[in-house]
Parts: sequence; C-alpha cells; structure tokens
Amino acid sequence: MSWRRKLIPRSAPMLLLVLTVGAAAGFAAVGHLVTRYTLNQQARGRKLYYLGVADAAAGRSDDAIAAFRAALSCDPTNSQYQLSLARALRDSNDPSRLDEAESYLLALWQRSPQDAAVNLALARVAAHRGVIEDAVRYYHNAMYGVWSSDPDGNRSRARIELIQFLLQKHALAQADSELIALAAALPPDPAAHAQAAQLFETAQDYPGALAQYEIVLRLEPENSIALAGAGEAAYRAANYTLAAHYLHDAAQADPHNEQAKKLQDLTELVLASNPFHSHISDAERDRRITADFVQAEDRLLLCARQTGVDLDNSKSDGSKSVEVDNSRNRNSQSPPASPLPALQARWMAAKAQLRDLRSPTETDLPDAIMDVVFQIEQQTASICGQPQGRDLALLMISQKREAAGQ
Amino acid sequence: MNAPPPIANPGPDGSSPSVPTPVPTAAPRRVSQRLFSSVEGVFNEELFFLILCVFIGIFSGLAVVCFRLAIDWTHLALLGPLPEAHSWRLLAVPSLAGLVVAFLVLHVFPGIRGSGVNQTKSALYIFNGFIPFRTAVGKFICAGLAIGSGQSLGPEDPSLQIGAGIASALGRQLQISREKIRLMAPVGAAAGLAAAFNAPISAVLFVIEEVIGRWSAGILGSVVLAAVSSVVIVRSFLGSEPLFRIPVTTFKRPRELIAYAVLGLVGGLASVVFAKTIGYLRPRLKALPRWTQYFQPALAGLAVGLIGFLGAPQVMGAGYGFMDEAMHGQYVWKFLLILALLKIVATSISFVSGTPGGMFAPALFVGAMLGGAVGDIERLLFPHLTGTTGTYALVGMGVLFAGFLRAPMTSVFMVLEVSGNYEIIVPVIVANACSYLVSRSFLAVPIFDMLTRQDGLILPSLEEEREETILRVEDAMVAVPKTILSAQDYVDGNARRVEDSTETAFLVRMHPSGWNIITRDQLQRLYREGKGELTLASVLPSQTLPSLFPDLPLDSALHYVNDYPLVPVVNRADSRKLEGVVTRDSVFKKYESRPSVEVSSTS
Repeated sequence: MSWRRKLIPRSAPMLLLVLTVGAAAGFAAVGHLVTRYTLNQQARGRKLYYLGVADAAAGRSDDAIAAFRAALSCDPTNSQYQLSLARALRDSNDPSRLDEAESYLLALWQRSPQDAAVNLALARVAAHRGVIEDAVRYYHNAMYGVWSSDPDGNRSRARIELIQFLLQKHALAQADSELIALAAALPPDPAAHAQAAQLFETAQDYPGALAQYEIVLRLEPENSIALAGAGEAAYRAANYTLAAHYLHDAAQADPHNEQAKKLQDLTELVLASNPFHSHISDAERDRRITADFVQAEDRLLLCARQTGVDLDNSKSDGSKSVEVDNSRNRNSQSPPASPLPALQARWMAAKAQLRDLRSPTETDLPDAIMDVVFQIEQQTASICGQPQGRDLALLMISQKREAAGQ
Repeated sequence: MNAPPPIANPGPDGSSPSVPTPVPTAAPRRVSQRLFSSVEGVFNEELFFLILCVFIGIFSGLAVVCFRLAIDWTHLALLGPLPEAHSWRLLAVPSLAGLVVAFLVLHVFPGIRGSGVNQTKSALYIFNGFIPFRTAVGKFICAGLAIGSGQSLGPEDPSLQIGAGIASALGRQLQISREKIRLMAPVGAAAGLAAAFNAPISAVLFVIEEVIGRWSAGILGSVVLAAVSSVVIVRSFLGSEPLFRIPVTTFKRPRELIAYAVLGLVGGLASVVFAKTIGYLRPRLKALPRWTQYFQPALAGLAVGLIGFLGAPQVMGAGYGFMDEAMHGQYVWKFLLILALLKIVATSISFVSGTPGGMFAPALFVGAMLGGAVGDIERLLFPHLTGTTGTYALVGMGVLFAGFLRAPMTSVFMVLEVSGNYEIIVPVIVANACSYLVSRSFLAVPIFDMLTRQDGLILPSLEEEREETILRVEDAMVAVPKTILSAQDYVDGNARRVEDSTETAFLVRMHPSGWNIITRDQLQRLYREGKGELTLASVLPSQTLPSLFPDLPLDSALHYVNDYPLVPVVNRADSRKLEGVVTRDSVFKKYESRPSVEVSSTS
C-alpha cells in the first residue's frame, strides 16, 4: 500500500491536476465506449426500422408499430423512427393511439419546431381529432416550415390538405381564404388549377372556380372537363350568358356529358325567359313578361291543386279571406293558412295592369309585374318543392335579381 | 506514511457490519493540514472540498453512464430488444443470472445486497463515511447483471451507492479531514442518483431527506455541485432525453382534485401493501439457513420470469419503456391494474431475495400503472374529467414515491423535474399528501428505516426530526417574580423591599438595559457592611446576567441554569420587558415531563 500512497501528490494544485487528468482520461474512455455501443445499437435499430417500413407499406400496421418500437428501443432519440412510429400509430385506426402519436410528435416538435414533416404529422393528428384551431396552426407551420425536398410541391399539398379538412368541417370562409392563397401560388399546371377549381366549387366560391377553369382552358382550350366545369361554375355564379357559352362548348366537346346538356338547356331557358336581359327590344321584353306571367299562374294553380287549396272559392275576395283566415288562425292556434289565395289575388290585380305595359308613363310596371311572378315562383317553391323547366328558370332569375339587389 | 483505515466487516447483507470499527482520524488530519499549508491563502480545505465535489460528480456520472450501458447491453444480449411472453429465455435468464449473482454476493462482494441507500446512510452515521470501493464495483457488476437479466429492480439506488463508493474511496485516497470524509458518501450518493434519474434537484432532496436525514446548509452546496456535475456528464453522453416521454398533461378544473385525491388514497394503500410485504418477507428469508441464500436470487428470478412468461414481461427489469407506453394510453385499465399488482409481487420477491438492486424504478412503475388505472376508472365513472391517462400516471409516480419511499418533498419535485410541467403541481401535491398520510397511518416507519432496523441499526431520519417535539424556553418558563429590584435604588431600600419576600434570589433591572441578580444573603450582607447608602448598581459586578428569549430551544437554557438561580426571559422587541424566568428546577422538570422517544425494532 505504501507505494500507492507515495504516488499521491502532496499539494492541492497537483492533486487537482491529477484529478483533471483522471477525469479527462475517464471521459475519453467512456466516450469511446458509448460511441461503440451507440453505433452498434444504431445498426440494429436501422434493420428494425426497415422491417417496419416494409410492414407499413404492406398495410400490416401492428407489425410496423412493433418494429418501429423495437427500432426506437435501440436508438431512442432517432427522429425518423419517432416520426415513423407516430405516423403508424396515427394511421392504425385506433383512436386510443393518437395520444401516443401526439406525444412522439410533440417531442420532435420541441426539438425542431420548424420541421415541416413533423408539423404536418401533428396537423393530421389534430385533424383526426377534429380540432380546427390546432390543425390550422400546424398546417400553416408545415406550409412555412422547412422541407427536405420539393418544398413548393409539399407546401401546396399541405395547403390542399388543410383546405380539404376545412371543407369537411364546413369552415367555408376559412377554406376560401386558403384557396385564394393556393390559387395565387399555383404553377401553370392544368391539373393543379382544375383541382383548385373543384375545391373552390366545394367552398361555394363559384367565381373563384370559374377563374380557375378559365386558366385551365387557356392552357388546354379543348379540355372538355374544364369546359363543363367552367359552364357549371358560371351557371352557379348566375353568369348565365357565360355559362351558356361554356356549356355549349362542353356539350360539343363531349356529347355524352348529360349534366352539361341539362344545364345548357336550363341556362338557355333562363336567358330566353329573362325580360331584364340587355340587348332585347321592348316588344321582346313585353312578350317575355306576358309569357312569364302566364307561366306563374299555371305554377300557382298547379301548386294549389297539389296542396288541396281551393282557389276558386277565394277568387272573389282573396286578400280579405286570407286576412280573416290569418286572424282566425292566430286565435285558434290552428296551422297557418295557405298564402296561395293571397298570391292569386295579387296575380289578378297585376293581370288588370298587364295591358298598360307599353304605356310610356308606366315605367315601373314591368318590375311590378315581374315581382308578382317572382313571388309566386318563390312561394310555390317553398310550398310545393323545386320546380322544373321554365318555372325553375324564373326562380333562378328571381334569385339573381335578389342577389344583385343586395 | 499513514496506515490505511481499517475496513469495517459488513454483515451478511452488507448493511450492518458485525463490528463497527471507527476509522482512525489523527493521521489524516495531520496530512490534511500539510496539504493545505503550502498553498495557504489560495486553497483552504473548504474550497478544495467544493472542487473535489465537482470531481466526485464527474466520476460518478461516468460510472453511472457505464452502469446504464452495462444494464442495456446485458438486457439486449440476454433477453433481446423487446422480450415477448412465452419465451423460454424469460424463465432461464433471470434464474441463471440469479445463481451467478448469489455466488458473487456471498463470496466476492459481501456488502452489496439490497438497495444501497441504507448502506450509504450507515456509512455516514456509523463508519465515518467509509464505503469499501469493492462494494461499488460489486454493486456495478451484480446489479447490472440482475437488472439486465430481468429481476424486478431499478438502477437508481445502486447508482447512488456506486457514487457514494467512488466518493468515499476518493476521499480516503486524498486523506482529507475526517469531517469531510464523512460527507463524501452523501455527496457521491447525490451525484450517483442525479445521474441515474437525470434529475439533480430530486437527487439532492432525496439525499437530504433519506441519507443525511437533516437539513444542513454546510453540505447543501457540495451536494448540489456534485449532483449538477454528474447530470452534465450523463447528458453529454446519453443526451438530455427524460427516462420516458412526457405525456400530454392537463388540469383544467379545480374540482378534479378530488379525483387526484382518490388516486393518492389508493396509492397510499398500495404503498402500505408494498412496504409491508417486503417488511414481512425480508427477515423471514434472511433467517433461513445460509445455503438457501445461494438459491434465493435464482428462485426470485424464476418467479419473476414466470410472471413474464405467462403474459406480463413488462414487470421485468426497471420497466421505463413500459411506463412510457402506459403513460401514452397503450394499455387498458384492467391490464394496468394487473401490472401494478404483479410489479409489487415481483419487486418484493426480487428485493427480499437479497439480489442487489433498487426500489425507485419499481415504485415509479407501480405508481404509473396504478395512476393510469385509477385515472381510467374515474373517467369511466365521471366522463367529464379532463385528465389524460398520462397525467394520472405521472401523478401516480409521485404518489408511490411519497407513500412507499416516504420522501414527500422529493416526490413532488421528482414529478415536476421529470415532466418539466408545472401545470400539474397542484394535483401532485394533493395526491402525494393523501398518499403520505395514508402510508403514515398504517406504517409506523418509512421503508428504508424499517430495513435498517431489521438489520439492527438505528439511524436518524428527517421524518423523525420533523416530528420531534422541540422544547423551547417558554415551555419551562415560570411567572415573573413579584419582586424586581432596580439598580438605581439604594441598598437599604432594596433590603427593606425583600424583607417580606419568601424568595432567596432577586432580579435586578440595570440601567439603561440588562439584568443582574442578587441573593437575599448578599443584600443583607451589604446592608450590614454599611453600604445601605449606595445604589445597587455601584455594588453589583459590572458583568450582567445573560437573558433568554421565549422561542429559543430549551437546550440553550442549560448553559446558564447551573450558574444562576434565575435566568430572565425577555421580549425580543424590548429587552427590558420581562416575560418570565427559568430556573434549574423548571428546566429539568420540563425535560422529565417530556415523553421519552423509544426506538423499537420493526420487523
């Protein structure tokens, strides 16, 4: 023992020096040991990881999860393994595993919050849970985050995924604003614009959809799907002239497209029935008003028959009887009386004025008569259901007029 | 050259040496003085000791890194990365490893049985900080083999003892003073535990609560330095990842605290069952013939392996990976409950068999499983509860720590430090307090104290100290005497005042402050000597009487009551205001009336 004691320095600084050297040597030795062990474990983890990837690709999610877990037990800090395990857990159709998936992803996120893949995975977990706020946040992080490859494509795909999620959740306004941002950044690719147009349609932004289809048509003028889409979008946007144009071209490009043909017929009927269309003569306008007025009466009578309302008995004092009926209803709490007799009374009153259509002093008369027509179409639509043919055309004209008035 | 300190003979389980031999101290003190005399002014022993604590942390950290690698490597080599039920390895490996461990414990490393916490505490209080280096080496090898082969034990307590062993060896080699050598073991223990847990605050608190057993400002700095430096070392090699991924934790409504309180009560009961099982089995197995000790670890390994073989391999080893899975909702509540019960059984068997290994990780495992199960059941019954399974599991860990290990402060900080989430501090405190109270109601002494008493040792504990009734001066104080003399008055006047008094000694109020004392005889003698025209101040000695404050410990009165018949007790805000007096009789009567603290051996 004495020789060992002789080796121990007798001054404090020398002792500290010896301890420092000892610590450095220990550090180096342990470092070497840890490195060797880590490399060994990493190799083992890689094998298990590829096994998991193969299982996941083959749809064996439980096997994939087990393999990823084993890989992680060998290399617990490997981000790729964690991300793969989190994805496998999320996609396993077992809601109870979402917590675990989220935990892995949050740990990864804390390490690199700018990682777009992690943010996208977290966004998907939030989307699985239906939490819009979190999903939007993580999707945005993914869009503006760092992608290892194809950043533009990945960003665009992430935004489309977000839009689809928002549409699924009926958050149409949010979806529309994302769509506007998406459309602004799209490359000149017909497929991408067509997809954007469809998303605009789902978000009920028909002018936006029309604009996207028009871009597709500029790139591929003969694209029949885009023609039909543009026609339908224009139709939904109540731009019937443009709709007729596109639907005509669509029907010609693809004669089997029944939907386009049906919409084309309806559009042409709208155009032919609309007395407020510009570029028509006064005579033509009067003719259309008269025809629409007659059509409205037919619709009124048909609806009355369907609902069992006897308009003949109430023809003499229609409005009065309606008032009486209404007061009785208020008192007796019975079902509300039909508005059809009152509508008929208004129609009768307007009929008396019909002959004054050409009078230069009655400039407001066409509007007044068409108001009666539109009221009849709207009320009968709510009582007897959606009309067909010319009645539908009149209803659409009325809706367009209302929208323009608003 | 000085002779090395004699090595204490460890008992059969290593915790209670048969003949505690004090370490000689005179020689090291001489060398220590020489060591610092040459560089006086730059290094004093205090500073050197603090620097030494950093090195203890570094060496302990390096040792714990190797220890963790050894456990992982053994586990991978013997059981594979993720052992599955119904594998023959689960039966064979822990049994065969148990035989090897038993041989090593009985023939090569006789001081390494059990957890290591008590041995470290014994080293501090009985053996002047002496822990044989061989114990640290043996603990490393045997605990690594046992835990790696699947025995239901944890690596934290062995890490604590390895750290303490390294520190003790270093202290002896450097021949610092006995006082410092004694502190080396807890400093090393904190470093080892901090490295094992990757949590320095919890380690410091645990060592103070369980090893040192008292709060001492002197040692706190050294313990913190060692703990922090060991954690830095571990993190530089193994990363700063926690032992398990932290789940998403939520605590939204204060009324949910009731649910956590229920968890605390259930955890407290589980702690009692766990501790009582160990307390019941351990002395009985130790009492069996010596030859059975060759087979006890192997049979324990077989039993634990059987549990794994039959479908619960999660209970084998430390189980951090499975705690992680439980916290992330991978198991249903029924399985969580089964795992908690099986872990109690498996750990009890492994521990009482004398296999070296710790109880920290098993306690955390049981807590996590129980917490998850109770949380899931509560949410089934009351679906509006917002806490996740992970939140309950995390709180459950603290609950077992508070109830089983009876370290309430460590339990709270451990959960916070491990989770890094202060949102759940209130549930943790509520649940831990409930668990601690239940455990105290059914269990007289904490588990580590119970084990030391089974070994025939009685060591101080912080819990005892916390509950010890401290007698204060006010407890022995008697009323202010009727006659108080004034130093400004004349002797003859004062002599007349005391004529009718039955007292023999009188307090004298000095001017402008302070107190003095004079007896009846002294006063009468002064009067007879013709000094009646003099003031008391002029005849009394200038040295004033010491005074006490009511809140001082009664022990402080002992210094004076033998020398003075009356000692004034004065107000802290106004030293001229007399609150009462203490006398020798009043102090001794108070000590006699205090119930004596009887320490009984718990078996």
